[in-house]
Amino acid sequence: MATTGVNGNHYDAIVIGGGHNGLVTAAYLGKAGLRTVVLERRETLGGAVGTSELAPGARVPTLAHTVGRLRPSVVRDLDLKRHGLSLVGPDVRVFAPGPDGSAVVLWGDVARTAEGLRARSAADADAYPGFDHLVRSLSGFLGEIAGRTPPDIESPGLGDALAGLQLGRTFRGLGRDHGRTITRVLPMAIADFVAESFESDALQAAIAWRGVQYTSMGPWSAGTTAVLLTDSAGNDGGAAGQTVYARGGPGALIAALEAAATATGVEIRTGAEVAHITSRDGRATGVALAGGEELTARAVVAGIDPKRALTGLADPVAVGPSLLWRAGNIRTPGTVAKVNLVLAGSPTFPAAGGDARLLRGRIVIAPGIDAMERAHDAAKFGRPSDEPIMEATIPSLTDPSLVEGAAPGTQVMSVIVQSAPRTLRDGTWDDAREGFGDRVVKTLEAHAPGLTALVTAREVITPLDLERDFGLTGGHPMHGEHGLDQFFLWRPLLGHARYRLALDGLYLAGAGAHPGGGVTGQNGQNAAREIVSDLRKRRR
Amino acid sequence: MAQSYDAVVIGGGHNGLVSAAYLARAGMRTLVLEKRHVLGGAAVTEEIFPGFRFSVFSYVVSLLRPEIIRDLELPRHGLDILPLDGTMTPLHKGEGPKAGGGDYLWRVNDHGRTIRELRRWSASDAEAYEEYGQLMVEMARFIKPILAITPPDLTSLDPRPMLPLAALARRFQGLPQPQQAVFVQLMTMSASEFLDQWFETDPLKATMSASGIIGTYQGVKSPGTAYVLLHHYMGEIDGAFRAWGIPKGGTGGVSNAIGSAARALGAEIRTNAPVANVIVKGGRAVGVALESGEEIHADAILSSLDSRQTFLGLLESGTLDPSFEEEVKRFKFRGSSGKVNLAVDRLPDFTSLPGVGEHLRGAISFSPSIDDMETAYDDAKYGHFSRRPYIDMIIPTLVDPTMAPPGKHVISCFVQYAPYKLAPELGTWDDQREAFGDAVIDRIAEFAPNIRDIILHRNIQTPLDIERTTGLTEGNIFQGELSLEQLFFNRPVPGYARFKTPVRDLWLCGSATHPGGGIMGANGRIAALEVLKARGRKAA
Repeated sequence: MATTGVNGNHYDAIVIGGGHNGLVTAAYLGKAGLRTVVLERRETLGGAVGTSELAPGARVPTLAHTVGRLRPSVVRDLDLKRHGLSLVGPDVRVFAPGPDGSAVVLWGDVARTAEGLRARSAADADAYPGFDHLVRSLSGFLGEIAGRTPPDIESPGLGDALAGLQLGRTFRGLGRDHGRTITRVLPMAIADFVAESFESDALQAAIAWRGVQYTSMGPWSAGTTAVLLTDSAGNDGGAAGQTVYARGGPGALIAALEAAATATGVEIRTGAEVAHITSRDGRATGVALAGGEELTARAVVAGIDPKRALTGLADPVAVGPSLLWRAGNIRTPGTVAKVNLVLAGSPTFPAAGGDARLLRGRIVIAPGIDAMERAHDAAKFGRPSDEPIMEATIPSLTDPSLVEGAAPGTQVMSVIVQSAPRTLRDGTWDDAREGFGDRVVKTLEAHAPGLTALVTAREVITPLDLERDFGLTGGHPMHGEHGLDQFFLWRPLLGHARYRLALDGLYLAGAGAHPGGGVTGQNGQNAAREIVSDLRKRRR
Repeated sequence: MAQSYDAVVIGGGHNGLVSAAYLARAGMRTLVLEKRHVLGGAAVTEEIFPGFRFSVFSYVVSLLRPEIIRDLELPRHGLDILPLDGTMTPLHKGEGPKAGGGDYLWRVNDHGRTIRELRRWSASDAEAYEEYGQLMVEMARFIKPILAITPPDLTSLDPRPMLPLAALARRFQGLPQPQQAVFVQLMTMSASEFLDQWFETDPLKATMSASGIIGTYQGVKSPGTAYVLLHHYMGEIDGAFRAWGIPKGGTGGVSNAIGSAARALGAEIRTNAPVANVIVKGGRAVGVALESGEEIHADAILSSLDSRQTFLGLLESGTLDPSFEEEVKRFKFRGSSGKVNLAVDRLPDFTSLPGVGEHLRGAISFSPSIDDMETAYDDAKYGHFSRRPYIDMIIPTLVDPTMAPPGKHVISCFVQYAPYKLAPELGTWDDQREAFGDAVIDRIAEFAPNIRDIILHRNIQTPLDIERTTGLTEGNIFQGELSLEQLFFNRPVPGYARFKTPVRDLWLCGSATHPGGGIMGANGRIAALEVLKARGRKAA
C-alpha cells in the first residue's frame, strides 16, 4: 500500500524514462501498491517503441516495428488485452529475396518452411526441422534464464552454484547433448552455427540476420549465435523468428501499458527531463528536474541506458572513480538506422512471384554471409555501407488501420538498416542522412523495381538522431551492445546485473540490464520484482 | 613377435616428448614415434640453406611451463633461453608523435625507458601502461592454475571433476570486483576494444593487440581475441616485461632438450617411424602399426597429433560413433599464418631508426595501426593472403650467432594473414607461394628499403607447407583455432576435454587439447598425469 507522504513530491518509486520497460516496471510497482511516478523527457511516451504519422493518415512504426518478443506473462499480469492491446501475426515470418530473383521464405510452420526450401536444397530442407528443434531447445534454456535475476557473484554459494551447474534443473533439462552444445555454440559466430546445418548461402544469411541485427558485429564475430538464441528466447523460440504486429502500430502497446499503469494509480509526466539523480551518503534519494523541481523517492529506477544514468545523471562522487570508469566503458556502438516510407501502392518483389502474402512478414535483405560481413566491414571503419543490409516490414498489409486516413492503396514501409555507424570517419550524419536514405531505397529498388516511384514520404532516422532525440547513448537501440562482454551476469556491469545499480535505492529496468534489448518487457518485469522485494524488506 | 611397451607416444613434437618424459619418469616403458627425421614437430631447427639454421615454423618461447623446466631439469639437457629485448614498431615517415622524435614506437625491457618512450606519444598512455601491466600480471597469475586443470564435463553427473572449477570460482570471488570485471572482459572482448579502455596511441594498441590474433583466424576487432592476448601474456608472468626469448639453437633446441630429458628418464625415441594406424581390438587401443608394417603393442597409446589426424587419420572408419566423428569434423582449424625465413648477408636498415643497434635485437612488429591490422584480416576473411600483412620479425643471429655463417644473418618473419583456404580465383598455395613471399618483402621494404638487396635466400612456409611438413591440419599452429567455443570443456571435442578418447587406452596429449597451443608443454604434462592416474601409477 502506498505511503501517503505529507510531501506531494515524495514517492515510493520514481521511474526515469517512459519507454516500454519503464512503463512495465511502473505498472508492476503500481500493482504492488507503491506510489510511483514515471518521468519522460520527450512529449510522447514509448521511447523506441512508437507510431508516428509520416503523412496525413499514414502512420508508421517510428523505430521498432514488431512486438513478438513481448513476454506473455507481462501481457497477462498487466491485463494488456483489456487495456486495448491486440496482436496480429501473419503466417509468414521472413521473406528474403536474393539477387538471383529467388527468395528464402520462413513460415511459422516448420514443415511448410522445409518444403519450400526443398527446391533450393534437399539437404537444407531435411536439416531445417532438426535445426528448428535445436534452436527451440537452446533458446528455451535462455528463455528460462531471461526470466530470472542473475545470481549474486558475491554469494558464498556461487562457486558451488557454478560448479553444480550440471546439476541445475534447467541445464540438465537440456539433456546431455544439448547441454554440451550450448557451451559450445553460445560464443560461436553465427556464420559457423548456421553452416553446421545448412549449405545454402541464402538460407544461412536469412537466419544469420537475427544474429547481427542491432549489434555492431558481422556474422563472423564470436557471440553472434548468442544474439540469435537470445532473440529466439523472447518469442516462440523457433528458427524463423517472430513477426507480430501491435494493431494500430507499436504505439498501441505503449498506450496499453500507459492505461495499465495509470489504472494502478501510477502518475505519468511527459516533458519532464531529469537533470540529475540526487543522493545522500551513497543512497539515491530522488531526482531533480531540468526545471529545478525536486522529487524524492525510496527507489529511483532508470529506464534509460546505464551509461547515461551513471555517467550523466548520478553524482560522480557517489558512484566513485573506479565504477565511473567502468560505466564509461560500457560499449554502445550504435550501428542501426531507420528509414520509414509512405508508398502510393504495394511494391512488387518479383522474387515473391506475385504472392503478396509473402510481403506481410519481415523482408530481410541480407544476400549472403559475405555480403553481411562486407556491410559490417564498412561500418567498423566508420563508413555507412554502400550495400547496407536491412529488415523491412509493410505492416499496413496486415493492419490496414495504419493507413485508414490516407489515399486508397497507400502502404507504409518500415526499414531497420544495419551497418550505419554512429561515429562517421568523414562528415556528420546531418550531412549524410539523405544520401544514406537514397542508398537504402536504391537497395530496396533492386529487389522491388518501381518502389522508388511509389515513395510519397520518407523519414531517415540516423544513429545520431537516436542519440539526440531519443537519448540513446551512442545511438544504440539496445542500451548497450549485445556482446559476450555485456551478457547475463555482466550486463551492464559485473556486480550490477541484479537490477540494483551502483547506489542503494538506484535500479536499472531498461534494455541495458539482463536479458538485454528488444520489445520484451522482461527487464522491467524482473526489475520490478527486485524493487518490490527490497522496498518490502526495508519497510520492516 | 611384436615389441611391447607400457606406453607409445605418437608424434615427437614438444608435447609428445613432454608426455613421454613424464611417463618414463613414473617408470613406464615408453616409446616415442616421430615420422620425420628430426624431433620437434613444429618446434624444429633445420639447416634450410647451407650454413643457415632456422626455427622453421615456431620462433619464440615464453609459454613453456616452469614446472616442466624444473621437473625435467631441462637446463641440464641444454635448454638455454636467450632473452629478446623489447619490441620495435617501425612507422612510415611522419607517423611518429607530433611532439617530434623518430617515426617508431620502441618498448624495451627497461621499464623506465619504455615509459619515457610512451610519454613521447601520450602522457596518459604512459601512466595507464604501468597500471595495465600490473593488472595483466595479476590476471595471468589468476588464470595460471587453469592451465593445469583437466576440464570437467559439465553434463556429467559425477561432481568430482567439477571441484577444481568450484575452487576456481571461489578464487574468482577473492578478486576485487574491478579485476573480476577485467577477467570477464578478457574472456569475451576483442583485443582492440579491450585495449581502447586504457590507451589512445594507435601503434601501441596495434602492436599490443597483435598478441591477440597470433595463430588465429580472427581480427583484432573480433570478440574473443582478448583471451588470446592473455594466453600470450602467460609467459610474461614469471619474468619482467615481455619475457619472450629465443632458445639457443632455435626452437628445435627446446625439443632436443626435452627429448634428451626423456631419454635420460628411460624413454625410447625413434625418428623416421611414421605411424599408419592405431590398432584397436574389442574397443580398446592395443598398439600401433607403422607404415613399414611393423606392429608395436602398448597398454596406453598417446597421440600428440591433432584431433582430426588422430580420430579420422589413425583409426579405421567405423571405430568411432558417427555423432562423435561429426563433432571431430566440426572442430575448426583454419590455419591463418605463414612464415618467411630469410638468409641475409647484411642487417635490414630501418628508415625510421637507421643503422645497426639494439632495436634489431628484439621483436620488430610491423603493426603501425589498428586499421592496418584489421584490413589485413579483412583480406583473409575472403580467402586472400593479406596484401599488407602483419609481420613479427626477429633476427636470431643477433642473440645466437651460431645460426648463420660469420657476418651473415637469419631473419624469421611470422606473417598474418595467410588463410589455408584460398579464394577459388587464386588457385592453390603452390600457385601463390611466391606472390605471398613478395607481399611480405614489399611490406618490410615500406620500412626497411634495403631488404631486397640483402636477401641471399628466402624460404616461404605457407599453411599448406606447414600442413605437408608437420602434419598440422590446415597448417593451424595451435592444432585448432583458439576460438572461445574451442577452449576448455570443448577442446577438442565437447565432453572429451579430459585427454581420454572414446577408444579405451587411446589418449590425446597435443595442443589440440586444453589449454591449447604454443610451446607450453602443459598439454603433454597434464595428459601424462591423467594416464598415470588412470593406470593407478604415481607421478614420480
